[in-house]
Amino acid sequence: MSLLKPFSKLPGLNSANILLVENEEQFQQSLADVLVEETSVAVNVRLAKSLPLPMENDESRPRIDLVVFIINLTSELSFQSAETSLKYLDPGYFLGKVCFMVTNARNASVPTEHLDAVRKLAASLHCPLLFAEDQTPDGVTSATERLLTVLKVAASLVPTTTALYLSNLTRCTLPPDIDQPSFD
Amino acid sequence: MESPQNSVARTPSNSAIVQRRSKSKSYRQSYRSCLGAASRLGLTPGLTARRLNSSRRALKSQVITEKVNPEHLAILVKAEWQLSYVTPLYQFRHTQLKSYSRQLSAFIAAEKQQGLAVEVEGSQSSFRVSFSVVQGMAETDDDAETVLIQIFSKPMFAKQDEPQRSVWSGWLTCINGNPDYLHSLPKGFTCLPLFGSSGAEVLTSLVKSWFQQTFDCCFGCLEINQTSLQWLAALWTNCHTESSLKHLKMIWTIPVVPPLQVTYTVDPQDAWELWMSVRMDQLDKSEEEEEEQARNIDIEEVTRFMQGLKSHFYRHFRLDLSAGNLQQVSTALGSAKFSGKIKISSSRYIITTLALLTECALLKMPI
Repeated sequence: MSLLKPFSKLPGLNSANILLVENEEQFQQSLADVLVEETSVAVNVRLAKSLPLPMENDESRPRIDLVVFIINLTSELSFQSAETSLKYLDPGYFLGKVCFMVTNARNASVPTEHLDAVRKLAASLHCPLLFAEDQTPDGVTSATERLLTVLKVAASLVPTTTALYLSNLTRCTLPPDIDQPSFD
Repeated sequence: MESPQNSVARTPSNSAIVQRRSKSKSYRQSYRSCLGAASRLGLTPGLTARRLNSSRRALKSQVITEKVNPEHLAILVKAEWQLSYVTPLYQFRHTQLKSYSRQLSAFIAAEKQQGLAVEVEGSQSSFRVSFSVVQGMAETDDDAETVLIQIFSKPMFAKQDEPQRSVWSGWLTCINGNPDYLHSLPKGFTCLPLFGSSGAEVLTSLVKSWFQQTFDCCFGCLEINQTSLQWLAALWTNCHTESSLKHLKMIWTIPVVPPLQVTYTVDPQDAWELWMSVRMDQLDKSEEEEEEQARNIDIEEVTRFMQGLKSHFYRHFRLDLSAGNLQQVSTALGSAKFSGKIKISSSRYIITTLALLTECALLKMPI
């Protein structure tokens, strides 16, 4: 099983590596364009449609600090592909090095069950859940800023915090009535 | 979220109502926070509390509506209705329907005078409006009675004694509404959240603006979202033994370039066998067959039924329908479109279909 391991390689100096996993392969491109413009840290962005990553690049791939799963709520396939990709991550990643990003959450045609399912998944894995708006440049910029905040901590570039500590503060929680039906 | 519910609570400024509210502790709640007080403490309440209709829905029992006027039933079954949700109506009296008819005719005539386009297929004569109550459709005691509105007019080249034809019809209904919500409405409000209309768009907008002016309510378009369409598909398939649906036809749109539309028609017997196999998995071995009929249907069964259909499609065409959106479900019992159009072809299932749609409307309503 080709698991992606978090600590099997040495880290680079003043650099951070982020892996964006998205089934539709659209938002990750615009995010990557803005992420690489960061000046204080050398950000390397790697894009994937799903895990597992191909074995051929295994040697040349640097240590991935943060894995972001981008889920488009309007399509069920997006969620299913993210779910199956989770199996190919070493459990060490779930101590603050995995993040979920959701697009199209405000779309009126999205049934609420999709967001609930993503919430439950993120809460069960103790990962943060970010909401992003992918159609406007402002939305992409603000999503990038939030990702960079998490990325710098996950790449150990912030002196006083670790990824595990940050994930305890930012992890997704479920409201207690998430399973309660509105009618009986 | 405290602020929306405070501002709504102040709307009727009658001090007597304020006192009574504090005494009996049934204060006006925003619909979302109606569900549980715990959700307001700490964790994110508000938007997340407005969620799914229900995970366990009672089986769609055949409701032979003989207590309803058959003429009204014929009208309801015949046309395809465009749905909207309506916020609660202020001071709507079921006893004053005649005066409402007069007011609405006067309103339409006035609008026509002003020159706003009321050209409806060349009918030049004045419009006659009729409001009527459809007795017998309310499911619980809390539901307000359904109101049917029809607009008649004579076609342009008609003879003197030719009867007026109905050019527009609409209805307002509330079936099996949430009792907590209905009780929490302040006095004077009638909740009829589901509005269906069929006819010229011009007349629909006129009727809506008259309602907004007279009863201080808001209309909004109601889309039937994916989950509700899947529920309807499963519920209609469930009725196959009682009244055969000729086919189960689903239309999916796949967001590719150029956009792809897939029409997936399933033979009713196959759909029925698939549905039964999904339900039989959940069935406990010790339960009787008859009990199985009366059991609730879970959302998981609906999901598994749809997943079976989608994987069958994938096996043959290598196209995963999960990547697309379900736009329309139609059977011989009715058809439902994502845009909010519903047609109920069989009078036996009107009540349960409208109950599902009432839930959708109540959830979509902003208050």
